[in-house]
Amino acid sequence: MSSVAAPRRKRRRRFGRLGWNLVALALFVVLIFPVYWMFATAFKSTDDIDRLTPTWFPTHPTLQHFRDAIDRPYFWSSVVNSLIIVGITVAVSVVLAFLAAIALSKFRFTGREVFIVLLIGIQMLPQVGLVIPLYVVLAKYHLTRDQGVYLGVIITYMTFALPFAVWTLRGFLVNIPKELEEAAMVDGSSRLGAFFRILLPLVAPGLVATSVFVFITSWNEFVFAYVLLNDQSKQTITVWLSEFYGTSRQVDWGGLMAGSILAAVPVLTFFGFVQRKIAFGLTAGAVKA
Amino acid sequence: MKARIIGAALLVAVLAVAASTATGATKRSAASVTVWLQVDAQSGWPGVVAAANAAFQKQHPGVTVNVQYQNWGTHLGKFDATLAGGNSPDVIEMGNTEMTKYMAAGAFQDLSSLKSQFDNSGTWLAGLAASGRYNGKLYGVPYYAGSRVVTYRTDQYRQAGIKGAPTSLAQFTTDAAKLAKKFGKSGYSPVYIAGTDWYVAMGFVYDFGGKIATQISGKWKGMLSSPKSIAGLTAYKNFFLAASKASKTTDENRPTPYSVYADGNAGSIVGPGWFTCCVGDAYKTSTAQFVMPSHTSGQAMPGFLGGSDLAVPVGANKQLGADWIAAFTSTSSEKALQAAGNIPNATNLLNTAKVGERAALRSWFVPAAKNWVNVENGNILRTMLSQILTGKLSVKQAAATADSNIEYTLNAS
Amino acid sequence: MGAAERTSLPSRRRRRPTLAPYGLILPVAAAIGLLLGYPIYKLVRISFERYGLFELIRHRGHWIGLDNYRSVLGDHVFWDTVVRTIVFTVANVGLTIVLGTLIALLLVRISAWVRVTLLTGLVLVWAMPVVVAVQVFYWMTNFENGVLNYLLARMHVVGEGHDWYATPLSSLGMVTLLIVWGALPFVVVSVYAGLAQVPHELVEAAQIDGAGPLRIFRDVTFPVLKPILLILTSLSIIWDFGVFAQPYLLIGSSHLDATNYLMGVYVFIKGYADHDFGRGAAISLLMLLMVAAMSVVYVRQMIKASSVR
Repeated sequence: MSSVAAPRRKRRRRFGRLGWNLVALALFVVLIFPVYWMFATAFKSTDDIDRLTPTWFPTHPTLQHFRDAIDRPYFWSSVVNSLIIVGITVAVSVVLAFLAAIALSKFRFTGREVFIVLLIGIQMLPQVGLVIPLYVVLAKYHLTRDQGVYLGVIITYMTFALPFAVWTLRGFLVNIPKELEEAAMVDGSSRLGAFFRILLPLVAPGLVATSVFVFITSWNEFVFAYVLLNDQSKQTITVWLSEFYGTSRQVDWGGLMAGSILAAVPVLTFFGFVQRKIAFGLTAGAVKA
Repeated sequence: MKARIIGAALLVAVLAVAASTATGATKRSAASVTVWLQVDAQSGWPGVVAAANAAFQKQHPGVTVNVQYQNWGTHLGKFDATLAGGNSPDVIEMGNTEMTKYMAAGAFQDLSSLKSQFDNSGTWLAGLAASGRYNGKLYGVPYYAGSRVVTYRTDQYRQAGIKGAPTSLAQFTTDAAKLAKKFGKSGYSPVYIAGTDWYVAMGFVYDFGGKIATQISGKWKGMLSSPKSIAGLTAYKNFFLAASKASKTTDENRPTPYSVYADGNAGSIVGPGWFTCCVGDAYKTSTAQFVMPSHTSGQAMPGFLGGSDLAVPVGANKQLGADWIAAFTSTSSEKALQAAGNIPNATNLLNTAKVGERAALRSWFVPAAKNWVNVENGNILRTMLSQILTGKLSVKQAAATADSNIEYTLNAS
Repeated sequence: MGAAERTSLPSRRRRRPTLAPYGLILPVAAAIGLLLGYPIYKLVRISFERYGLFELIRHRGHWIGLDNYRSVLGDHVFWDTVVRTIVFTVANVGLTIVLGTLIALLLVRISAWVRVTLLTGLVLVWAMPVVVAVQVFYWMTNFENGVLNYLLARMHVVGEGHDWYATPLSSLGMVTLLIVWGALPFVVVSVYAGLAQVPHELVEAAQIDGAGPLRIFRDVTFPVLKPILLILTSLSIIWDFGVFAQPYLLIGSSHLDATNYLMGVYVFIKGYADHDFGRGAAISLLMLLMVAAMSVVYVRQMIKASSVR
């Protein structure tokens, strides 16, 4: 490692970094623009929104839409319901999917190919066709009335999240060389211990990506939540949002935007907690030879 | 290790939830009645619902009323699922154009024997009552109606020298020319109508004596190619080209007419009466309404009669459902709905001093075909209007194509 | 460490087949089987029945054999839609995967604070409900006052008031923009997580050897990313082929017709909104076969690629 080459490389890298930073910031502006528009609309007066000519900034910013959204019936209960349903879905799905992904990546067993085909095949089914038959099944299990609806929705979300989660986690697991496990086992730890100490940190970014995906997909899911949660006091925040535009009269766009922002807060909080894990995985690096 | 503990905790949580559901009630009890109304009621007239619940509970103490509000775009899908799962509500609000398909499929219980218990059942609005009848039996009780009127800028009309509301289509056309002369900058429509707004366009067809389709010995025949319908469509085309600068291919939701109005780009708009909600602060005090005039002087053009019915699905508790409907459509309840800006369900309750209710006196409605909704889903009428206005097809050609598409859809099994 | 070093276990370490894998997959298999077993059976069965609203209420269909399939396969609208959707899928998947990978590679090269900003932005995009995103997108792209036209007209790229929804091609182009925009966060985050597994030492070694970034990507990064990219590609194919919400809401139910149907929209309108459930089931199963055919290449690679040691 010559030290002469180092400063030149560092200089090139610094210029490169500035350039890339600018590109990234430009990209940020382009990608985030619709989100900005949502925010701006939430603060615009209704007059500004109803007018055909759009205004870039709210002329008379107002918090009225946020007040209207929170005052709407069932706002808080919808948030709580979403948190419960999605939280349990994510936790259970990722754990079960991880176990299955380990089986698929570390073991050879009969029925392995069938299981894989099953996982992929389920994702290929158009969900629209399954709504009614699924409802009939859940009705038979008594999961479409009273308190059972929570379990009904959770199981439904899990069933659609699992194939995807197993598949993705397997992709992350496959990359981890067997030598790492063996290196740990040489130390005398059991296979399970080696697994947790060595594999888990390496696959953490994959777990995080998968949980964020399952979280967001379940959080924003509408059709099954709307059909299965028969009671407004049990509905999720996404169903609550749909009431803004489900009317035959004028749509309260300001309220919808404000409500969406509020509904996104838990998602962003969840991501805020876990995003450090992704960065951690990147800087930790792999095996030190 | 941590993962194991978390896993165990989750398992316990899941089992706890599962255990709680095992004790949940599963049979349809006679101690409650489930009602599906649209969110319009939740935001528009919640007091009327509460009053009806109170009246119902006086009649049936001990029976809880569970009102669940649904969305227009998605409530039918949910209803289908509950029909398949044996879980339907006891009362459901249906749009009047949605009724026929479900009545033909036998989704509702026959309320004919209970008709007398509904207030004003002898004087229900003809158009609305028809939507709740199938094969001579009563399945849907009229809930409320909506009509179409012209909402206009009183200041602009005055400045353009227009003396009063036009009494004929011809006069309306000259009024539009006056407005265009006085205010015609680019983008300004004297009368903003979206090109494919078939609710307005078909009013012209019915005004000239035409119709969309008719049933001849069991088979549906498209009637848009009849001479009278062609006359109506041509009149619509002429009026649109003269008075509206809206896009010829756009619908009445993009943009909504009232946003165009709020922007100052429309002298008048045609639509439901509640448009006055959103005309913009600047024009609130200079806005009024009149009835769309017919091509025959002194008459009103037939307006699309929107509205909802209330029905009792199969498998529900028929008497309880009917009693709730009776409470919700009682005379006092209908008067309260009227105060909230709706048109009540019976002619003896109409207040013809109100523009909207006057407009409801002459109305048209879609063919009572069980597959009518599929015609709407396939946008057959909108495509026809778009072809006519852009000149892609002549009126006769576009009507003929639409007729064959309508026949194919309505006659499909 | 390269692929060549991932050899199979020495024979003394090979174990007898254990029950462990079955225990590990049991919860997943049970959940899927118990919940989806009957619906899938029902879906297949009613594709051979006349099953409309009438039959739904009576919980009983009327067997008509292959008539649903015959009617669907004989409908030229069906075939037009299939072709249109295949082209649409190729465009969407291509754009999503390529752009997503590029952005993930970008994330590695930027300062930490820029990275957090961009990631936060991506998550905001990801978290936006589809209905809201569609509405905002429509406000941005409509012909009367959309900001897209405003900017493009200033740059003299298009004339004033250009209607992006006038033709099926540009409507679906708008839908593509919306879908790719919404799909990027997930792809970026996944590829970025995958990049975490690229051995740092190999990259440095290659740089010292004088390899350019393209070479490093091809020889070091891409092999590590390959499993992730295969998965993302196959999933994107599946999702984009059957996408429903975005085209249905952005083009709008008033503008959807045979000239701009995509398969997801087509099956919804012709099968479920029109209450012809038998036909809907037949179309769904045909869609399943088509998607399977489109992704079989990737799936087979994925099954082969992993060497279970």
